[in-house]
Amino acid sequence: MLPTRRHIAALLILLATATFAQQPRTLILLDPAHGGPDAGAHLPNNLLEKDITLALATRLKATLTAAGFPVVTTRDTDPAAAIPPDQRAGAANHARPAACLLLHATAAGTPGIHLITSALPAATEPPRTIPWDTAQSAALPQSLLLANELGLSLQNAKLPVTLTRASLRPLDNLTCPAVVIEVAPLANPESTPTPVSDPAYQQRLAEAIAAALTTWRTHLAGAAQ
Amino acid sequence: MIPRYQRILFWTLAAAILLMTAFLLHGCQQAHKRLTAHNDDTPIAAPVTTSTEDITLYLANDADASIAPVQQQLALPQDPTVRARVLLDHLLTAYALPGSAHPLPSGPAVDDVFLVPITASTQTHSTDNSQLAVVNLRASFADNHPSGVQVETLTLLSIVGTLHAAFPRIAQVRFLVDGQPRETLAGHADLTRTYPVTDTTFKPTPPTTDN
Repeated sequence: MLPTRRHIAALLILLATATFAQQPRTLILLDPAHGGPDAGAHLPNNLLEKDITLALATRLKATLTAAGFPVVTTRDTDPAAAIPPDQRAGAANHARPAACLLLHATAAGTPGIHLITSALPAATEPPRTIPWDTAQSAALPQSLLLANELGLSLQNAKLPVTLTRASLRPLDNLTCPAVVIEVAPLANPESTPTPVSDPAYQQRLAEAIAAALTTWRTHLAGAAQ
Repeated sequence: MIPRYQRILFWTLAAAILLMTAFLLHGCQQAHKRLTAHNDDTPIAAPVTTSTEDITLYLANDADASIAPVQQQLALPQDPTVRARVLLDHLLTAYALPGSAHPLPSGPAVDDVFLVPITASTQTHSTDNSQLAVVNLRASFADNHPSGVQVETLTLLSIVGTLHAAFPRIAQVRFLVDGQPRETLAGHADLTRTYPVTDTTFKPTPPTTDN
């Protein structure tokens, strides 16, 4: 008996379900820092950090979606009121993403990209209850691995990268593997530094992050199996 | 019809005016550069009658996001709270000097430093003779501090490391700004938490392929 269309469709659905079940959860949360009255850092040429982070989040969301990642953001526009860190952390923890990327921009510090993980000590064993102020402790080993993966990808993209740790909110309140990506101007030995608003610079960064997350997803799939 | 000699005179004078303008502008620029090159707002050190002592400053460097201990000689008062304030003022003043590796705004930065014994009633981490340092920064310093996660964190770790080296009894540090709790230093680094006082020497390591 030859298979009918219904049989083929059922087989395809079964295959798709099995493939989906093997894929780890790879929802990515993007948090463009600041917004509304909270303008963030005042950058050269009258640029505001809140606008740069939003532009970068928009670009990154498009690149990640094209790479097959579902993406949620804490803001898609410039809100009328500032979003408190606790509200951002609450939204992120509720979404239960596979990775949280907190986007910042600055004119100070080391040239290039700063990858920052929480300065909290890593939890030695899974806690029964998760204290709000130190929620990131349990996910810190995963956050450090994610930061390392992002660092390698940025190095491959010829972008200077610095890995550090810091205490800041909402990073310390997140339960997902989380990394702050702070963009600083690129040093050019023969000309003026490339500003953080440069579209080509942002695109290189977005593509490097997408490549890192693709590798991260593969690692997660390997760990799940 | 304007005579030829008058036209020549006119253009000669016009050229002279342009030359003088260019000369004056160049002179102004040179003077401005000369003045800003020596723009050191540090107060002249008062004559010191007390003997100096070795101190260790944990100096931040923006070029590589590192913090390294540096030995210096400084005359410090004996009273611990005043001693801590003078030490931190000296540290933050060093960052305001021209050519600093971690440029910060000039002017007074620290209003007071309070040393509080850590007891069971103030903290859960009670240890013998350990102290909590409350560093009260000036709002003018925090408001003009460069904004960024990395640069703000370097400033805080530099303060913490310097206190650790000079005051072994200090176990924790909290920060206030003009006597009030403040969410962040300049929009990023958390000022609401208590920082453990440790050796903050740090040099970032590059990402590795070992994982």
